[in-house]
Amino acid sequence: MNEISVLSIFLAAVFTNNILLTNYLGMCSFLAVSSEVKASAGLGIAVTFVMAVTSVLNWLVEQYILVPLDLVYMRYIVYIVVIAAFVQLVEMIIERVSDSLYAALGIFLPLITVNCAILGATLFIAIREYTLPQAAAYGAGGGLGWAMAIVAMAGIRQKMARSRVPRGLSGAGISLVITGIMALAFIGFSGMIRVN
Amino acid sequence: MRQSPEQDAIEKRLGPGKTSRDGFLGTDTRHLGEIIVEDDLSVKRLDLTHAAIVDRMRFFRDAAEEGFGGVVMVPPHFEVRSDSVRGKISCPFGHQGGGFAKNTVIVENTRLNKQVMYTDLTIHLIEAHGFYQGRGAYFRTDPAVLAEVLEVERLAPPVIPAGE
Amino acid sequence: MSPLETFFVSVGVITAIATGLAFLVVLAEMTIGHYGRMKIDINNGEKLLDVEGGQSLLTTLKEEGIFIPSACGGRGSCGLCTLKVTSGGGDYLPTELAWIKPESREKGIRLSCQIKVKRDMSIEVPSRLFSIKEFSGQVEYIEDLTHDIKRVRIRLTEPADISYKAGQFMQLAVPEYELSSEQVSRAYSMSSAPHETGLVEFMIRLVPNGICTTWVHRYLKEGDRVSLTGPFGEFFLQETSREIICIAGGSGMAPIRSILADIEHRAHAQPEIAARRCRFFFGAVSRRDLFVLDEMQRLEASLPAFTFIPALSAPKPEDAWQGESGLITDVVRKHLGTTGSEVEAYLCGSPGMIKACISVLNECGIPVDRIYYDSFG
Repeated sequence: MNEISVLSIFLAAVFTNNILLTNYLGMCSFLAVSSEVKASAGLGIAVTFVMAVTSVLNWLVEQYILVPLDLVYMRYIVYIVVIAAFVQLVEMIIERVSDSLYAALGIFLPLITVNCAILGATLFIAIREYTLPQAAAYGAGGGLGWAMAIVAMAGIRQKMARSRVPRGLSGAGISLVITGIMALAFIGFSGMIRVN
Repeated sequence: MRQSPEQDAIEKRLGPGKTSRDGFLGTDTRHLGEIIVEDDLSVKRLDLTHAAIVDRMRFFRDAAEEGFGGVVMVPPHFEVRSDSVRGKISCPFGHQGGGFAKNTVIVENTRLNKQVMYTDLTIHLIEAHGFYQGRGAYFRTDPAVLAEVLEVERLAPPVIPAGE
Repeated sequence: MSPLETFFVSVGVITAIATGLAFLVVLAEMTIGHYGRMKIDINNGEKLLDVEGGQSLLTTLKEEGIFIPSACGGRGSCGLCTLKVTSGGGDYLPTELAWIKPESREKGIRLSCQIKVKRDMSIEVPSRLFSIKEFSGQVEYIEDLTHDIKRVRIRLTEPADISYKAGQFMQLAVPEYELSSEQVSRAYSMSSAPHETGLVEFMIRLVPNGICTTWVHRYLKEGDRVSLTGPFGEFFLQETSREIICIAGGSGMAPIRSILADIEHRAHAQPEIAARRCRFFFGAVSRRDLFVLDEMQRLEASLPAFTFIPALSAPKPEDAWQGESGLITDVVRKHLGTTGSEVEAYLCGSPGMIKACISVLNECGIPVDRIYYDSFG
C-alpha cells in the first residue's frame, strides 16, 4: 500500500503516465479508428467508461475472491473474463436505453473488449497495490488519457489528409511515426509524479 | 490507407449487388479515400473544378431529356440521348433523402468520335462527394475523359489588369 | 494446500466465475434485451395489434400481415417505408434523418425500418395498404418482346388469387443470386388485367447495371419460384364516361395495356365502357422498340372506339415506316387540336416526358385535374 493522493494518481494517469503514450498499450483500436475526430471522441468516451468501471470491478474481484483463496496467479484469465462480460452488459443497456447512442457508439463497443489498455490498467492497479479510491482514480484517468491521445492523433491525421505522405508510409506507417513523436514529447513528463 | 468505420461502411455499400449490379468500384483495388483524392488531383491538374464538370454534364442531361429516348443534336457537334426507367436509386453514401431518378444519358462528341455515358446518380456522386467511381466500374467517368469529350471549359487564368 | 486441492480450487473458482458472469449476461439479455409484448394502435383504434417487441416496426407489421412498401428490404436505403407515428417512436435516428424532411419531422413521420418497437405505439397506416399481401408464384412464361423488354407471366400459388385494379404495380423480390447477395425488391406495373385470375404478368425492361432486371433477363427461367408483394399504386381508370387519351413509352406500355385489356373485358357486360373514345399514343425511337402490335390490332378490332397511334421519333430507312413520326408530344398536339374538357388523360413514363405531355395536354384544353399519371421517378 502507498500514501499517494488520489488526485496525483488521476493526473498521472492522464498526463505523465499516459497508458498509450508512455506504456504503449491500446495501440490497435487507436490506429484503426484515429483517422476521424468524431469517431475517436466516441471511442474515447466508451473506453473511459469501461476502464473506470472494470478497474473497480477487478479490484473487488482481486480483494474478495483471488486473494483470500490464494489464486492471485489466475488474475489474467479472471480479469479478461470480467471485462468481456461487462462490455456485453454495457452494449445491451445502451441498446435498450438509447437508440441514437447505440447507433453512434454501437460499433465501437465490441472493439473495446480486446483493447489491451483496459486489461493493462487493471493489472497495473493490482501490481501497484492501489486502494479502492486509487484504483478508481487510475481507471478513470487512464481512460481519459487514452481518449485524449486518440483525439489528438485524429486531429493530426485529419490535418494531414492532404499532405504528400510517401507511399510506403501512408496509413499505419505514418501514424506510428506520429505516435512515436507524441510519445517522445510525453517522455518529458516522466518522473514528475510518483505513482508507485 | 486506413479509413474510418464510416468510410468502410460506405465502401461496402459501393460493392457489387448492393445498390446496383456491378457496384461503383469496378476492378479497382484502391480504397474509397484514395480514389477520391487521386481523382481530385486529376481535376486540379486539368485546371477544372468538380462544379464545372458537373455543370456541363447537367447541361447535356437536360438537353437529352427533350428527346424522350431519341437523339437530340446539341451544337456544335454533339449528339445526346437519354432514357429512363421506373424507380429511384439511393446514394450509396447513405444520406440523400428521396433517391435519384434512373435516367441514363449518352453524350457523343461527333468531332472526336468518342462518347461518355452517365446517370443522374453519377452526377450527384461527383457534385456532392467528388467521387468519379473506381476503374472498371460500369459508369466510371474519368475526369480527363469527361473534360475532353464534353469539352468542359478550362478555368480562365487570373487576369492581371495592366497598370493605369 | 496440497497440489491436488490447489488444482481443484483454482479450476473450480475459474469455472464458477465464468459461469456466474455468463449467467449474468444471459439474465441481462432476458430482461434488458427482452422487450415483452407491446401494443400497436393503428389509425386511432381501427386495428389493435399485440406484438413481440424488439424488432423494427416494418418487420413487426409485416409479421402481422401489414405490408409497408419497401425496396431495400429494411436496410434504410430506399426511404419508401415512411409512416406517421403519433406516439411511442422515440427519438429520430441519424439513419432516418437522411430521408425525412423537416416538415415531415414535425408531423411525426418516421422510417419504419429503422425504429424498433420498444414500447406501446400508436401509428397511422393509409387504409389502401391493408389490401397488400405477400404472394408466392411460379414463372409460367417468359417471352422476348423487344431487344431489351421481356414479358414475364407468373402463376400465383400462395395465395392463389389476387384482386387489383388495372394500372397498379407489384414489388418483385430479387433473391440472392450470383451478382447480388442482398434482399432487394423492385416495382413493376402489371400488364395483365384483373379478370385473368390467378396470374400476374409484367413487361420488364433491362436496365444498364440493374440488380433486378439483370436477374430477370439473364437468370430467371420458366418454373422458377418468385415472391411478390402488392398491389400498390394510385394509377387506374376513372369510372367516368369521358374520352380517354393514353400516352406512354417503353415499359410504360404495361399499365396502359392492362387498362385496355380491362376495358375490353368489361365491355361485354357494360357496353357503355366500350363506347368511350380511346386513343393510345405510344412513343418510341425506331421500329425495333415497338412491341405487342398484334395485341393492339386485336383491341382495335374488338373496341371500335379505340385507336392505337405509335409514333417513331427517329425511324430508320429500313423500317419503311408509314405511321406517325416525330416527338410524341408533337404527335399528340397534332391529333388533339383543341379538344375540350370532356377528356381524361393517362400517362406513364419518365418525369421529363410526363411534364412535357402535361404541358401539351393543357395547351389542348385538358385541365390538370383530368390528367392521371404514373411517373417512373
